[in-house]
Amino acid sequence: MNSARPIYPFAAIVGQERMKLALLLNIINPLLSGVLIRGEKGTAKSTAVRALADILPEIRVIADNPFQLSPDDEYDVYLEIEQALNGQPPAVSEPPVAASRKVRVVELPVGATEDRVVGSLDLERALKKGEKRVEPGLLAAAHRGILYVDEVNLLDDHVVDVLLDSAAMGVNTIEREGVSFSHPARFTLVGTMNPEEGELRPQLLDRFGLCVQVEGVQSVQDRVAIMERRAAFDEDPERFAGEWTERSEMLVQRIEQAKALYPRVTVETTILFEIAQFCLDVGVDGHRGDIIILKTAKTLAAYEGRTQVTSDDAQRAAELALPHRVRRQPLMAIADNAQALRKNMMVGSPQT
Amino acid sequence: MFRTVYPLAALVGQETLIRCLLLNAVNPGVGGVLIRGEKGTAKSTAVRALASLLPEILVVRGCAFSCNPERIEGLCSGCRETASRKTDRRKVRIVNLPLNATEDRVAGGIDFSPAIKNGRRALSSGLLAAAHRGILYVDEINLLDDHIVDIILDAAASGYNRVEREGISFGHPARFILIGTMNPEEGELRPQLLDRFGLCVEVTGAQTSEERVRLMKRRDEFDGDPQGFCQRFQSQSETIARQITEGRKILPRVRTPDHLRGFMANLCMENHVAGHRADLVLEQAARALAALLGETAVTVEHISQVAPLVLAHRSRDEQTPPPPPSPPDDEPEEDDPRREEPENENNHQPRSQNNQPRTEEQNGPSPEETPPEGRESSPAPNEEDRNFLIGDTFKVKRISSSKDRLVRRGSGRRSRTRIAQKQGRYVKSSLENKSGDIALDATLRAAAPCQKNRRGKSDLAVHLTASDIREKVREKRVGNFILFTVDASGSMGARGRMAASKGAVMSLLLDAYQKRDRVAMISFRRNDASVNLPPTPSVELAGKLLSEMAVGGRTPLSAGLSKSFEVTRNYLLKEPTARPIVIIITDGKSNVSLGERKPLDESRALAAAMARDERVKYVVVDTEEDGIVSFGLAKQLAAALGADYFKIDDLKAEELVTIAKGEK
Repeated sequence: MNSARPIYPFAAIVGQERMKLALLLNIINPLLSGVLIRGEKGTAKSTAVRALADILPEIRVIADNPFQLSPDDEYDVYLEIEQALNGQPPAVSEPPVAASRKVRVVELPVGATEDRVVGSLDLERALKKGEKRVEPGLLAAAHRGILYVDEVNLLDDHVVDVLLDSAAMGVNTIEREGVSFSHPARFTLVGTMNPEEGELRPQLLDRFGLCVQVEGVQSVQDRVAIMERRAAFDEDPERFAGEWTERSEMLVQRIEQAKALYPRVTVETTILFEIAQFCLDVGVDGHRGDIIILKTAKTLAAYEGRTQVTSDDAQRAAELALPHRVRRQPLMAIADNAQALRKNMMVGSPQT
Repeated sequence: MFRTVYPLAALVGQETLIRCLLLNAVNPGVGGVLIRGEKGTAKSTAVRALASLLPEILVVRGCAFSCNPERIEGLCSGCRETASRKTDRRKVRIVNLPLNATEDRVAGGIDFSPAIKNGRRALSSGLLAAAHRGILYVDEINLLDDHIVDIILDAAASGYNRVEREGISFGHPARFILIGTMNPEEGELRPQLLDRFGLCVEVTGAQTSEERVRLMKRRDEFDGDPQGFCQRFQSQSETIARQITEGRKILPRVRTPDHLRGFMANLCMENHVAGHRADLVLEQAARALAALLGETAVTVEHISQVAPLVLAHRSRDEQTPPPPPSPPDDEPEEDDPRREEPENENNHQPRSQNNQPRTEEQNGPSPEETPPEGRESSPAPNEEDRNFLIGDTFKVKRISSSKDRLVRRGSGRRSRTRIAQKQGRYVKSSLENKSGDIALDATLRAAAPCQKNRRGKSDLAVHLTASDIREKVREKRVGNFILFTVDASGSMGARGRMAASKGAVMSLLLDAYQKRDRVAMISFRRNDASVNLPPTPSVELAGKLLSEMAVGGRTPLSAGLSKSFEVTRNYLLKEPTARPIVIIITDGKSNVSLGERKPLDESRALAAAMARDERVKYVVVDTEEDGIVSFGLAKQLAAALGADYFKIDDLKAEELVTIAKGEK
């Protein structure tokens, strides 16, 4: 990841506004719990996610801690984990060294095995010293970061179960291979998929906060722009990235500002009712939809520098948060457009 | 554990769910609760919130099995030997069993660290030990591996966990309350496991916008300031905790009047409950409720309040004589259509008499046979019964169960070959030495006791010999391949018949979806059979194709059969470990042959030849109506194929969980 070759800058991606917005909102507010990007091949899905690495904010972590714990909020967790690992608490006299680094994008390859994802017995340690030690897996690495799964619908079923488990609880519990251990694992789940190759399981679908549909850009000008930029990037990645540095930094700043503003964003009760009514009209399972819409709307307001959520924010949030939550008839395709769906439902024509 | 947990008192709605949890907290005899419901309805949140409210119990200090010092006869061997037992008070634990747990951690095994270092044979007690006198909590319990389920069932049934493995033999009491959550969309539970749960509660989202708004507000406040939020609910949480503690104190004094026992027994009988657990649980639950309310005598009111929770997952339809609660594995070969009345959701099933095979469109007399919509009695607990132009769908049990059996029976064979691919979940280890997929932990445990005698020259701490090597046994739930061979000839086009057949296929597809099988579809009509859908995991695609499938023409059954054979053979070449299931939906007629022979004879011969491949399982779904004249041709075909034979109606599941869901 930190190789010399620069990545294609996020700011330089042409079009795909909804996808970019969904990703940015998730960076601003990790509680949105991720985004599912559905669409055909070659629509900058993966490029966008990888490009995030550039604009992600910094977080404080305990240096060399494989669990990405925060020295501020998670100090007691740190003590607990050290105790579990070493059988004794770390010396209080030497507090852990704190470091600052960017939020990470951890990639979960489709072929990953379960033990690599959740963590397993440390082979070397077991053989050399006869000790049981946990070798942390990808979930540990993804704590407080982004877990990115390309082609998430092709993921092995077992791995999906594990993801469900830890995405729901924010904790990864290992009870296998003689090891008993748990550590926090709160991550933003970002998945891409091509619906032609099969759908996601409903339970996993629901774990993604937002869902966007992407398709190829339809205007000739934009397509030309894509080709030009791509060519320029391939020719001299560094220079290209350099040209976009300024814009990337502006984006970073905007994210930081929105993050700071978020706790002060307020919502009026009428808007809450609007959201609830929307969910009822469309027919959403459970309450995660409502909650995500509210959070998304607040994040949107913060992103645009406002402290008051408007009705428009709520509408836009619903469009991002509902498509994959609408109660589907079995095997029905996922709705592209929550608004249209609502209208249909309101008219009351029995849809098939 | 690591994060401030959303307090139970702050949940909006879900009174029944909370009540169930409290009943269990007051009286462990209630026997746990299964929480079923759609996603995002605070299932897991509620259970985790319960942890902080649980009362304290007295345990022997340092005992891994949480022995109760006040009951000498229940002590573990370790505690019995130590004369001076010190005691501790601690909260009742909630032990979380993650889906990917391996057998050694659930049941317990040898702890290799001390064994290797000091040659001491120490036990590492498992989750069942930790859960003794506490709560064992399994999120998404319907996704739990069968191996693990077996262990849990065993321990739950006897209240004792016995470990005989890796050269050790020990046992300890394991009485725990089982709490599970599940989303029925992902598949149902094994009946045996289902019955273990004392109570079952169905949760749904709030339906009024006021409640939803309240919920959003609370959640938002909680996310903004978790600690402050919990403090605001502090006093309410304490009230609940006190209620539990008080209830536990009163419980031993709560009496059930004798005349109410009869009432309870009647209640169970009226609901056609299998077995006697319901009666027992009902009494315990009623007592728990009385205790929770601070009363010392059970009343009718208490009983009727808890009865729905106890009976929901146990009551059966009246039409069925209560069969013994058997796992779906032992599936009897029954051909008689059961449960005639309630399941005629397939609206049009006129008695068409397609006795003349060549007739293209011969309609049955009338739709007057059309039975009323049996929606309510439809067994599907989720929204699966919709009309797609495909006929109504229903929950399939039979096929799936036989499929289950296939998986489990074949599991030895399957897993071994699977191991070569090193895919799937590592569930346990075995001595077999074939694949090179070494289970390090098990190997170390095997080697550990011998380390003392093997101290050698190398700088490794552990000395392994070939006899220590253990290999992983992996289980993979994916992997059935289902081929649908659908008769799309004119004879099927008779009114309603195709709709019903399509409904059946759709139901099977839904089932396949839940089990994540690969599907393929072949249809045959006119002179030929064609592969509509090559093997794919996309059940959606199959569903779409199904709805578009055209009907008409003659019936080339032989062509359909040979095409099926071709497809399965190719699939088997690619994946030799697969055990395909071919489901043939037909009325058994045949009037076009491939060669010179008579169509019917040819198809029989073909079927007999196909039956020889033991790897393929055949299922024939007969679409012929029970009319005045019925030929039973499909039955003969099934016999030739060695196939399971079903009428469409037979496919419908006898749903154990018939939770009455009011249609909104």
